[in-house]
Amino acid sequence: MLMLPELLVVATALVVLVIDLFLSERTRWLTGLITLLGLLAAMAAACTNTMHGALLGGRFVVDAVAWWFDILLILAAFVTVILSMDVLNGNTRVRMRGLGARAEYYCVLLFTLAGMMFLISSRDLITFYVSLELATIPMFALAAWRRDDARSGEAGLKYVILAALSSSLIVYGMALLYGLTGQTNLDAIGRILPNHVGPAFWFAVAMLVAGAGSKFTVVPFHFWAADVYQGAPTPITAYLSVASKCVGLAFMFQVLFRIFGGWLHDGSLLVSIFAATTMTLGNTVAIVQHNIKRFMAFSAVSQAGYFLLGFLGPNEAGVAAMLFYMLVYIVTNLGVFTCIIWYQNETGREEIEDYRGLSQTNPIMALMMMVSLFSLAGIPPLSGFVGKFFLFSIASSAGYHWLVALAAVNSTVSLYYYLRVIRQMYIEPPDADARRIPITKKLAVTEAFLFAGVVILGIVPTLYESIHADTATWLATLLR
Amino acid sequence: MMLICIVLIPLLAGVIAWAIGRQNPGAARWVCLLACAIDLVILLTLWNNQAAMAAFAAGGPWLMQVNVPWVPALGISFHLALDGLSLLMLILSAFLGIVSVGCSWTEIKERVGFFHFNLMWVLAGIMGVFLAMDLFLFYCFWELMLVPMYFLIVIWGHENRIYAAVKFFIFTQFSGLLMLLAILALYFLHGHATGTYTFDYDLLLGTKLGSGAAKWIMLGFFAAFAVKLPAFPVHNWLPDAHTEAPTAGSVILAGLLLKTGAYGLMRFVVPLFPQAAIDFTPVAMTLAVIGIIYGAVLSFAQTDLKRLVAYSSVSHMGFVLLGVFAWNRIALQGAVMQMICHGLGTGALFMMVGAIQERIHTRNIEKMGGFWEVAPRMGAIAMFFAMASLGLPGIGNFIAEFLVLLGSYQANATMTSIASLGLVLGSIYSLWIVQRVFHGARENQAKLPDFARREIALFASLIIALVGLGFFPQPIFKTADPALSKLQQLAVAGQGAVQVSEAKHSGGNS
Repeated sequence: MLMLPELLVVATALVVLVIDLFLSERTRWLTGLITLLGLLAAMAAACTNTMHGALLGGRFVVDAVAWWFDILLILAAFVTVILSMDVLNGNTRVRMRGLGARAEYYCVLLFTLAGMMFLISSRDLITFYVSLELATIPMFALAAWRRDDARSGEAGLKYVILAALSSSLIVYGMALLYGLTGQTNLDAIGRILPNHVGPAFWFAVAMLVAGAGSKFTVVPFHFWAADVYQGAPTPITAYLSVASKCVGLAFMFQVLFRIFGGWLHDGSLLVSIFAATTMTLGNTVAIVQHNIKRFMAFSAVSQAGYFLLGFLGPNEAGVAAMLFYMLVYIVTNLGVFTCIIWYQNETGREEIEDYRGLSQTNPIMALMMMVSLFSLAGIPPLSGFVGKFFLFSIASSAGYHWLVALAAVNSTVSLYYYLRVIRQMYIEPPDADARRIPITKKLAVTEAFLFAGVVILGIVPTLYESIHADTATWLATLLR
Repeated sequence: MMLICIVLIPLLAGVIAWAIGRQNPGAARWVCLLACAIDLVILLTLWNNQAAMAAFAAGGPWLMQVNVPWVPALGISFHLALDGLSLLMLILSAFLGIVSVGCSWTEIKERVGFFHFNLMWVLAGIMGVFLAMDLFLFYCFWELMLVPMYFLIVIWGHENRIYAAVKFFIFTQFSGLLMLLAILALYFLHGHATGTYTFDYDLLLGTKLGSGAAKWIMLGFFAAFAVKLPAFPVHNWLPDAHTEAPTAGSVILAGLLLKTGAYGLMRFVVPLFPQAAIDFTPVAMTLAVIGIIYGAVLSFAQTDLKRLVAYSSVSHMGFVLLGVFAWNRIALQGAVMQMICHGLGTGALFMMVGAIQERIHTRNIEKMGGFWEVAPRMGAIAMFFAMASLGLPGIGNFIAEFLVLLGSYQANATMTSIASLGLVLGSIYSLWIVQRVFHGARENQAKLPDFARREIALFASLIIALVGLGFFPQPIFKTADPALSKLQQLAVAGQGAVQVSEAKHSGGNS
């Protein structure tokens, strides 16, 4: 039963693929519905499963952190599927070609999800690596899904090359770990490693940190992000920005806490430098972007920098703060992307300037997008502020006051560029021939839920309390 | 519960106004006017509650408070509390709320609903700032003021509005984040020392800090409040923001937003870090005096009437800074009085400029002159507020500035003597406004209708308030006094504690 959510996701992927063979073109939209039902079932299975435990001889373990990651990942995938449905079904005002093959799309998406869910639960080098690749390789195909769009192809290709590079670094690092310790169990490696500190060990650290950094878009390993975000179909950009980030965080948890847990305290300075460069560079480059997807890519890079603050210390409050901020980030970023996808579906535009006058052509969507952007910038009392506040307080309690000050400066800068979008929506007048832009029910309901999440998570942060309570003892066993 | 209502009413009114503003702008205006009026009535009944006042004066904790846990794991609570100082500031907020809705009645014609939404939310944020006694909550309200104000300037402002709004935003946001940093540092230092991690103001009072830490944390708070106040040299967002904002925005900015900075200094900076504040006093007083003189001198150089009034604000708020750091009872009373009178008087001057601009479409003083002939009521009213601004006896401002100078003379005679020059300069530029705009040759031939009933009513209420304060300031003193003396006691107690612990420390070393 422990593995039920993962199994349900895989089963849904296969069912969708098979059922598609028996559907006519007119009824093919059913595949989306089946995917959603499968994800709902997986979510229900995950939510009702309160047991923690190990399977397959300790290679697959569900603990509090893995449980929360499962919930977050399924949530991200669920929303992404809804966001993709209009595009895939052709319910868009602007004709978009080359986004056919619905069943395959859903199937591939579900496989990435399964890979991500396995990754956080795996305790064995082999399972760990295989699930990482299962999460990554189907992503290449998704990024290049728009077959007759050159940019989408370019995105896919860039993603393949850079992700392959990071995967090879990771596999090299893992090989070194195995060579040093003779173990494949991650916990065992973490236990034995302190006896094997030497050049090979530091080499393994460098490899794994670079690999993890690339998955989590930490500067200077972030290069793939901007082009891939811009070129990929927009729902996939949304998925990349939340699910990939989430799995990147899970990967960091596995590597930094589980394998190198003993050194994390001494490595705090290094983490703080990564955090500082990541948020600063992400923010500075975001200022000059014109394409909203590229803009969101750099915004995502800078957000990764804030996440890293949670590793300082390190203490159990940091784990809870990172998980909570991930939840907030998923909800908020998807809130922004719902607007971006909707606007692209209706008008075919994706430049920041194209958003001018949105407050007149659709005031409600403009409001929701504005609130989501403010949440990303960290304006109280929205959830983004509360999440960031928890992370800042972690860094502050670890004594990294300079880093908190820098993070504060970065928040101001980020506010400036989020305001650029808001200024277009609220201050610039709409085009003379602009009319009211309608919205489909699916997107409206999704956006309403995400909006409610953005506001409520901030005002009533009880979820943080429950994450905190769940994960309170998780770290103690790893840090020794 | 009452306290939550006070903040909630404008928030709700804002949402309603936005929702109905598109179809029925008139109704939106009335909803907001009504909301502010209800708030004012609630606050006045609270003020009238003699029993509670007496209990507070006798040493009760607060006049009224709500304290519910919010994020218990981090020691964050939803703590609103009221004492005499907050009560006066809240009454001022509700009153100026009514005035600012009233003065935008004809000025704002576009997106009326959204305008009133922003106006009400700024007001709610300001009221929250005056009530919050949990530092986390305080920061939330502090930021809540910012975004709607940005919109007020950037959508309904004048020519150079985007530049002004961004400048305002970045100054206040950055200084606010410095305060956030200071809040976090205080939180952890208090937590490490006592084992209870809390953001609650009551519990954080009397935290024993090393003098280095206290200095830096105090500066974090001071930065945020000095920008809002505004103190020299971080005042330069103010002339732009005031000038470019619509009239109601300027009224709120000058009347209330600046007061949050002064309030923060009184409520947080000195009581939380008494020793650090005392060490900092010479610097703060110097900044205050520079602000007073510099603001007044720059007022002369302006040709834009609104900019002139804005610089005069820098000068007047310098007196508040001076009074706060003199930190004796007379000076503090004077500072509170100055906050109230400056809020009313400068608000009125901005409304005057707004009214003139609405009529002749310029703010350039050189294009004005001789308005008295065509608009005598306007001239007489302007004359009154110019007199208020220069501190004519019989008007509240005189009492305020006099008390500040009286109090701070005891603290620092040199600074006070220089500061009193500000009064002389103030009378020059105030009279200059009247002379240039209302007398002399009539250059501008644009039509200039005199004030109508709505405007007369608004200005009359302000005049009555200012004259009332000038002749009967006692109720204000009586309300503020228990709160101020409590703050003073806290500061003295904290200072004593620091000295004792330092004495112990040095004793241990020897």
